Amino acid sequence: MASQGTEKALALLRRLPRVSLGNLKPNPGAVKSARRGRGIYGGKTHGAGSKGSGQRQNFMRLGFETGNTPFYLRFPYQNYYKGHHMRLSYAPLCMGKLQRMIDTSRLRTDVPVDITQLSATQLFSINPMEKMGGIMLKDEGIDHFQATLNLEVQWATEAVIASVERNGGTITVAYYDPISLQAALNPMAFFKRGVAIPRRMLPPQNLIDYYSDPKNRGYLADPTEVARERFVLAQKYGYELPDIRSSPNQEMLLERKDPRQIFYGLQPGWVVNLEDKVILKPTDPELLEHYAS
Amino acid sequence: MLLSRPNILRSLGRTVAPCRSLHNTAWLWCFRSAVSLDKIYPESDLDLTKPQQIPKTKGHNFSGYVPMDKVQVTYSRSSGPGGQNVNKINTKVDLRFHLASAEWLSPELKEKLATKHKTSITSDGFLVIRSDKTRSQQLNLAEAMDKLRHLIYTAAFVPPPPAVEDIERARRRLPSL
Repeated sequence: MASQGTEKALALLRRLPRVSLGNLKPNPGAVKSARRGRGIYGGKTHGAGSKGSGQRQNFMRLGFETGNTPFYLRFPYQNYYKGHHMRLSYAPLCMGKLQRMIDTSRLRTDVPVDITQLSATQLFSINPMEKMGGIMLKDEGIDHFQATLNLEVQWATEAVIASVERNGGTITVAYYDPISLQAALNPMAFFKRGVAIPRRMLPPQNLIDYYSDPKNRGYLADPTEVARERFVLAQKYGYELPDIRSSPNQEMLLERKDPRQIFYGLQPGWVVNLEDKVILKPTDPELLEHYAS
Repeated sequence: MLLSRPNILRSLGRTVAPCRSLHNTAWLWCFRSAVSLDKIYPESDLDLTKPQQIPKTKGHNFSGYVPMDKVQVTYSRSSGPGGQNVNKINTKVDLRFHLASAEWLSPELKEKLATKHKTSITSDGFLVIRSDKTRSQQLNLAEAMDKLRHLIYTAAFVPPPPAVEDIERARRRLPSL
């Protein structure tokens, strides 16, 4: 039998109405009035304290440091920092290093290579909280690159796209918002949290054009237009475009995530239980609608 | 919450590129959100492997298409400074083809090329283009392709006939002999 105090508490819970915004109030003394003191106990100094500049015509503006150059004026504006807080940076990966990773079996080529696979090599430190967007592929070593891959990175130049496609592979650039990126970089740590897989957000205004352009192989671009750009690029760089349809890895090379997906084979809304090795899926229609939106 | 086994999941959740030419069951297994490609581009085939129509060259109109199987590309070492790297890496590109027997060019274009760019043609009749501009073989090949297209376009260029006003002006300025 529970103690009297517990019983009383449970009885309260049973009879009191549900807590809502309409029946809440702060504790007495928690909220201080913004009004100037007037009358009996708000009188005498009227909230101005005693003596000093606080009581005597205090006109100092916010940030004023009694004469010396204040902190907010000490540092000049630099144009190269303009909008820096909105700009993303990417971890560089040159093609020569990518080929080396494949040759030393650090990276698998039989599955689509996305940020999760690249992060699993543990050769990159990407911190989404420090405004890092993911991985970008660089031009260096394009002559040494020979692998056939289904690549998904966050930024790629034209020469890189040409070197991947001339070897019979496919490349896509895809955007991951910070939360999705954090999940994608370390899926195990994410699953251990027991949180439903979120929907991947669409790119911000300054990046949406980049990711919708077939020339960049954006994940939001029309695949038919991307096919045309593949042909044009092959002509520009002087190689015959290999036929993916006759390739044995056709299915793997054409595998693409939905724009809202973070992991291959997993949908937003699912909860992955690593302990019991099961996946929990929502059944409520509202939730299903939300996660598919 | 619905419990599901991972092995069923694998076949259900595997997302294949939304290619409408694939059979129906593969299409059913895809996860498609409200911003999936088939919803953004409802009229498109969504086919990344769609074969492209090769543009044709007719008369003086060069289409820009160069068939890579009809052109010979060889690589060699570049000249200039660069130490061990330039001595060992084959970055220089030599692009050549036999002009007279090139079916992808029209006879008019071949004639024009032979006259205008005869300095680029060898005694055997091969049009040769070389490039060692960059440090990369692939970029040098792209430069060579660009040079080739430039050669063809400049050869194909037919200046427009002089305007009536220009003929009249010339007639007034220069007395006929």
